[in-house]
Amino acid sequence: MAEHVVIIGGGGTGAALAHDLVGRGFRVTLLERGELFSGATGRHHGLLHSGARYAVHDPAAARECFAENQILRRIAPFAIEPNDGLFVALDEADEAYAEAFLDGCAAARIPTRRLTSDDALALEPGLAPEARLAVRVPDATVDPFRLPLSFLATAAARGARVRRFAEVVGFVERGGPGVVARDRLAGRDLEVTGDVVVNAAGAWAGEVAALAGVSLPVRPAPGVMVAVVGRHVEMAVNRLHPAAEGDIVVPQRRLTVVGASLWLADHPERGLAARRDEVERLLELGARLVPAVARAKVRAAWCAARPLAAGLDDGRDAQQLTRSFRCIDHGETDGRPGLLSVVGGKATTLRAVAEAAADRVCATLGRPELRCATRDEPLLPPRAWFEGRGEVAP
Amino acid sequence: MTAARFVLRVRRTRFHEHEHEHESSFQDFEVEVEPEATVLDALELIRIGRDPGLRYRHSCHHASCGTCGCQVNGVARLACVTRLGDLGGELVTLEPLEGYRCEGDLVVDPGPLFRDLPPHWTVLRESEGRRPEARTRLEDCIECGCCVAACPVAGPGRPYVGPAALAAIQREIEKAPAPEAAAALLELAGGPRGERLCERFIDCSRVCPSGVAPARRIADLRRRVGRRLEGE
Repeated sequence: MAEHVVIIGGGGTGAALAHDLVGRGFRVTLLERGELFSGATGRHHGLLHSGARYAVHDPAAARECFAENQILRRIAPFAIEPNDGLFVALDEADEAYAEAFLDGCAAARIPTRRLTSDDALALEPGLAPEARLAVRVPDATVDPFRLPLSFLATAAARGARVRRFAEVVGFVERGGPGVVARDRLAGRDLEVTGDVVVNAAGAWAGEVAALAGVSLPVRPAPGVMVAVVGRHVEMAVNRLHPAAEGDIVVPQRRLTVVGASLWLADHPERGLAARRDEVERLLELGARLVPAVARAKVRAAWCAARPLAAGLDDGRDAQQLTRSFRCIDHGETDGRPGLLSVVGGKATTLRAVAEAAADRVCATLGRPELRCATRDEPLLPPRAWFEGRGEVAP
Repeated sequence: MTAARFVLRVRRTRFHEHEHEHESSFQDFEVEVEPEATVLDALELIRIGRDPGLRYRHSCHHASCGTCGCQVNGVARLACVTRLGDLGGELVTLEPLEGYRCEGDLVVDPGPLFRDLPPHWTVLRESEGRRPEARTRLEDCIECGCCVAACPVAGPGRPYVGPAALAAIQREIEKAPAPEAAAALLELAGGPRGERLCERFIDCSRVCPSGVAPARRIADLRRRVGRRLEGE
């Protein structure tokens, strides 16, 4: 009988992990306290990075990001607007940054094309006329709900059991690790035990860890994003400078999303609101790249807490892309064998984060020979999820 | 900041062991928020601060995922882009989306919508923007089910396939790679569950949060079906 892995959290990490583990032959049960992808994953602005954003200070991370970009385009093309991106220089400082940027992309083997102001404006008439030059990169736009849903649809079709509206409220030991889940649709608590429990609860991972009596270095890092009416660009537009707030403008269907701000918080969701002054500030920043966003009607303004893996030094961690997340074996760190936590990660590197986490699950279970198969395997389209295979009746 | 008082009157539903037994009642929640705050913002405040048992669906918070549809003062809308201050009063009544099986509070099972939307139907289209290069974008339809909820003809146990599916068929025909594929789709549209059952209420287009205009697409299907019949 295959080992049973219980995953806490129906975000991008949990979904991709379920897919990876089912592919390696495990039994999987995923518990999500609400709707799927109702945390940071679903609220993502939709930018599928080319990796160029990381190219200057971390070419290895940039290279891995580009690799994931290419993989997702292959395995989940139905959730992607594949229209490339531009990094746009608006002033002298930005222009001066271009050389380092192009060198970094070259080192990361990310294809780029340098464009004059005229070429950039011909390609994207909505750009600010102040644009001095632009670099074209293979960015894209994703549907933030449907991309990870395709992972879960595929996992469910292969037997992964998924319970939504089932909140983990405690941990138990029944000869092996287990949890108590409050099933809010069925109106009762249930115990789910496994060989390994993986805490993939994103910004809530610290709260889940506390239920198990272990501590976890996760810091909620909220940000505000704004969607305005109208598709004012066809390509993802970034500012050509070191990453800062409000420096991306992304098309999504017939909306344009401006993102994002960033601050640190103590709670994954309490007190989060998209304040009017924040929204106006973001639109002003976005309008420097694409003037129309300041004149367009606001469709939505929202807040989401990214789960930052606290205690990491982004620039110096040796693990490249994995520099932005950690996989912790609480058997090693806290004397709680059978419990792993995955902290951090980015929406568009979900497959890679899951691969590393699944490798760790295999190591924990003494099955290091089981290999990841998700790199090349096409996913089911997201609608396949609704064919009812994933839902477990109460 | 000018906060305003609103009362969210939410239809709560609890199920017992056997699904046909359920009890349903309204519960009032008072909130103080900016008028630009959305129905979803208010639901989050209530769940996080007062009642973790309040159940509703949400994901993207920007009218992209289509999960947060519910009846707001009797009209099918997305909670995430419905501003409380736009509703014309303090009292905001929330009920689960009409025509779908309620699983608890505002959570419904969208399964029936997807039964008539095969997974292989496309979700990408050519972008309309006038640019030197052809671009691809995601289709407008976010599969929220509001159009089906609003349609007086569609519903559980009724044969009409509904506006979402017909609009999808029309888009597939427009993009159909080959005449045989278009013909098969037209068979569906012109069949016993198709456009002939539409009674032109136009509520579908009125409630669509994404500009799909299903009523116009259904009218287009009607013309195509008519032309095909004339050709026979």
